[in-house]
Amino acid sequence: MQNNHKRKTVSFQMLGFEFRKVIGNPYVHIFGVGMPVLMMIIITRAVMGQVAGPAMLEEANTSVFLGIGSLIPMATIFMGYGVSNAQEMEKGIPQRMELFGIRAGVSICNRILSEIIFMILAFLVYFGVGYAAVDLKAPTLSGGLLYLVCIFSFSVILFCLSHAISSLLRKFSLTYCVTMLLYFGMMVLGGMMGISYDNMPPAVQTVAKLLPVTYINRDFYIVWKGESYNFMPMLQSYLLMAAIAGIAIVFTIKRTERKLH
Amino acid sequence: MLLSIENLTVRYGADTALSIDSPIQIEEGDRVGVIGSNGAGKTTLLKAILGLVPYQGVIRTGLRPEEMAVHMQFNEYTDAMPVRHIMEAVLGTRIARDRKLQELVAFFEFGDCLRKKYSKLSGGQKQRFTIIMVMMQEAALTFYDEVTSGLDFETRQRLVEKLVEWYRGKRESFLMVSHYYEELDQLAQKLLILDRGLVLDYGPKEELFRKYCGRAVIVVNHCEENEKLLSGFRRLAAPAHLIALSCESAETERKITDLLQENDVNYKRSNNDIEILYTNAKAAKGGNSDAE
Repeated sequence: MQNNHKRKTVSFQMLGFEFRKVIGNPYVHIFGVGMPVLMMIIITRAVMGQVAGPAMLEEANTSVFLGIGSLIPMATIFMGYGVSNAQEMEKGIPQRMELFGIRAGVSICNRILSEIIFMILAFLVYFGVGYAAVDLKAPTLSGGLLYLVCIFSFSVILFCLSHAISSLLRKFSLTYCVTMLLYFGMMVLGGMMGISYDNMPPAVQTVAKLLPVTYINRDFYIVWKGESYNFMPMLQSYLLMAAIAGIAIVFTIKRTERKLH
Repeated sequence: MLLSIENLTVRYGADTALSIDSPIQIEEGDRVGVIGSNGAGKTTLLKAILGLVPYQGVIRTGLRPEEMAVHMQFNEYTDAMPVRHIMEAVLGTRIARDRKLQELVAFFEFGDCLRKKYSKLSGGQKQRFTIIMVMMQEAALTFYDEVTSGLDFETRQRLVEKLVEWYRGKRESFLMVSHYYEELDQLAQKLLILDRGLVLDYGPKEELFRKYCGRAVIVVNHCEENEKLLSGFRRLAAPAHLIALSCESAETERKITDLLQENDVNYKRSNNDIEILYTNAKAAKGGNSDAE
């Protein structure tokens, strides 16, 4: 047996362990894989009748496709990890692991990597179904890379928020309720539930502007095509959300820290 | 010295859950049984030592956290995979490649359970699962918090037998919280007696027995006839259904046993009865006891 204190932060064994936990969580399959694929197909079919010409259709489809893609990290990481962590906190599992000498940092690092691996697989399914079933525009190299960067950084921010919420609430029911509300809130404000940003009242637009998901849903088609785009408002929304997530996670770590002699 | 505790106070809100004034020291090789009724502060003490609850006072130890292992009263694990994957991840090893782990799995007859999920294990299997991982840590100091609670008599007996066998001839120390005194008879050398958050006494089992009970005790069932028959001897505090007599000398013991045999009364003789010892320690310190 290896000394857990000297355990590497990331190892295949811990990664495999955490990955099994991710795939054992039914929420990530339902909301992280099934729902985005289904929504993408339904909405692009609905759009079909309202758009004139194949070029317009391709643009509308791709725009919907990219926007709904942002649901994947929101469902797999934000909601999926949140409820799973809360369930574990409720049962005292993280503390049990720490008492075996496995530092919280080791569990968290391996968990975030596992979540990202699952998210990549979910995106592969999403892109596979999308390009097979819907007319979509292929990205430029810069557009594709920027989409990756935006989704990954959004995922890390969501993981921190999710960890903080679930660790502070420590109850599955409460965490499920809060993350679900925020998940649907972000969907509505991001313009994915039928009301686009432009049709929102000004007060709601002010809140929507603070969310990265709004820019991914509304504007990313421009970036995808490789056209010039003013990233400043989007960057500001990322920085704001990252700051909130950062403060929340530092507060959580300090609060849940084990006090040793 | 492995661990020392001085002036320790643990509070939950306005309530003081534990208050230890006199220093307590745990030496290398000590096997300490921690006893006391519900709410005495047993689990709180373990949690304070492990840094799981805030406390005031001093807990000194040269041990690093990973040199202390613990079997909590309730241990839960993820149900997303069979327990063999949990075991391998926690221990950072592979069962197929680790002979010591294979031995422990065989020793605790756990091989058939490795493919099951944690929720599908029986109470005894769940306890053995954690015990295997705790023992694999080879910690200098191990804590067992009510390791056999919730188990049926036979499973409990078998588990304790396994623990006795495992620790025979080893140097590792442990602190074991238990409500089953017969387990501590077999496993503990020292006792820490707690009552309502206070330490009633701490020391070697035999020393405490002599202090509170004398050389030996004779225990009979409580009834009016036995009361009358034994009225001339020194009574000890005892649970309501028993009469306990202190035998200060071999002569007293002979007189009592002769009398009981003449009158055909069943009795039990002991020089390490923890239940009677605990009841008398509690009575001596003026605590509530079930004794008459």
